[in-house]
Amino acid sequence: MRMVLSSVSLAALVASGAAVLFAQWPAWPTGVPKTPDGKPNLTAPTPRTADGKPDFSGTWNLARGPGRGGAKGKDAPPAPVPAASPEDPPVGQFFNIGAGFKDGLLPLLPAAQQLRAARKADNNKDNPDAHCLPIGLTQLHMHPQPRKIIQTDRVIAILYEAQAEVRQIFLDGRPLPPKDAEPWWRGYSVGHWDGDTLVVETTGFRDDVWLDVEGSPLTNAGKMTERFRRLNYGSMQIDITIEDPTAYTKPFTVRVNHTLMPDDDLIEFVCEDRDAVHYVGKDGKQ
Amino acid sequence: MKARAVLFLGSLVLLCSAQLQAHHAFAAEFDGNKPVHFTDATVTKVELINPHSWIHVDVKLSNGSVENWAIEAGSPNILLRRGITRNTLKKGDKIIVDGYQSKDGSKRANGRNLTLPNGQQLFLGSSGGEGAPYEVQRPGVDVVK
Repeated sequence: MRMVLSSVSLAALVASGAAVLFAQWPAWPTGVPKTPDGKPNLTAPTPRTADGKPDFSGTWNLARGPGRGGAKGKDAPPAPVPAASPEDPPVGQFFNIGAGFKDGLLPLLPAAQQLRAARKADNNKDNPDAHCLPIGLTQLHMHPQPRKIIQTDRVIAILYEAQAEVRQIFLDGRPLPPKDAEPWWRGYSVGHWDGDTLVVETTGFRDDVWLDVEGSPLTNAGKMTERFRRLNYGSMQIDITIEDPTAYTKPFTVRVNHTLMPDDDLIEFVCEDRDAVHYVGKDGKQ
Repeated sequence: MKARAVLFLGSLVLLCSAQLQAHHAFAAEFDGNKPVHFTDATVTKVELINPHSWIHVDVKLSNGSVENWAIEAGSPNILLRRGITRNTLKKGDKIIVDGYQSKDGSKRANGRNLTLPNGQQLFLGSSGGEGAPYEVQRPGVDVVK
């Protein structure tokens, strides 16, 4: 009975919230194509820039459900994402980026495996997210809070609502920095086009990046390669390959699906509780 | 209008744990073995701040004394998307709160159920990082499904 009540309440709550408001701005046209009945047409063709490249600009939400190994979210939006084939990479999950692999395991080296196990056993209390610190690019890709892409022909900026993070991807042909570049939470990103796919390479991470909430590691030796595809107006697919010989026995690839949030925008998120002294680990200590 | 307020309030606390889970595990802050049940709670302050909002309530205990407790809620951006604004919960509102006390024993709790003066009870259980609801089991109270 409790479960029944819960489901009914939840459905009512979701329904009540959905129609209430979009961010704080008054309703205003944003150029999203519409169907004859006036609804956003998310299956319209991929928008393109003046030079014919796919335009990834827009506000995007994590698409729940679709894909091999993806969560079966009951409140999944109708994501017009093609069905995944067995050849596709598994869908990365926010808590465990490797959840879609056999037994939910990444190809971790022993030391990295111990580190991840210790982080998880400590209730994930040291995930940077819990301390108002940057949470890293893969957590941002899989985060339930939206992100906004602003694309020009020389640089792409991604504004993440979570932790109000900002990222730049340079498309102007510059190379990646040398190996001894100052390590950054989000590294250094450059992109190039492979047909309609935007290929982004990132290096120069800090040694203490958490790829997911449970603490899958990424180190300064790591490289991330993302392949962005905007499949149609309303859907985007990102295949993420992690190579990090200090933490993993071999490279691995996961997929993230995003759905456009038409006529929506970001909400300010300023993290104030920086001390977070009330979090405790497995031994009860902070 | 009343019904709408009820829905807002429900989703407010429902979303507590969605955001909590996004930051750290429930176990990093709250104790599933320390359920709290406040039958007479009066809202004293609502803080819509990141990464968690807080609903402060004056709790009248059976011995007549009053304690001020803080109930953790989701981040303002998530609450706002569900229609919960600074106008939703007001100082002086009477609510009943079920939740779990913090591990450090301070007067803070993660909300689970909330009952309004008209008797309506709302599910306030935890949500996963992706928003899919699941319940944190209370030992001896809830049946594992």
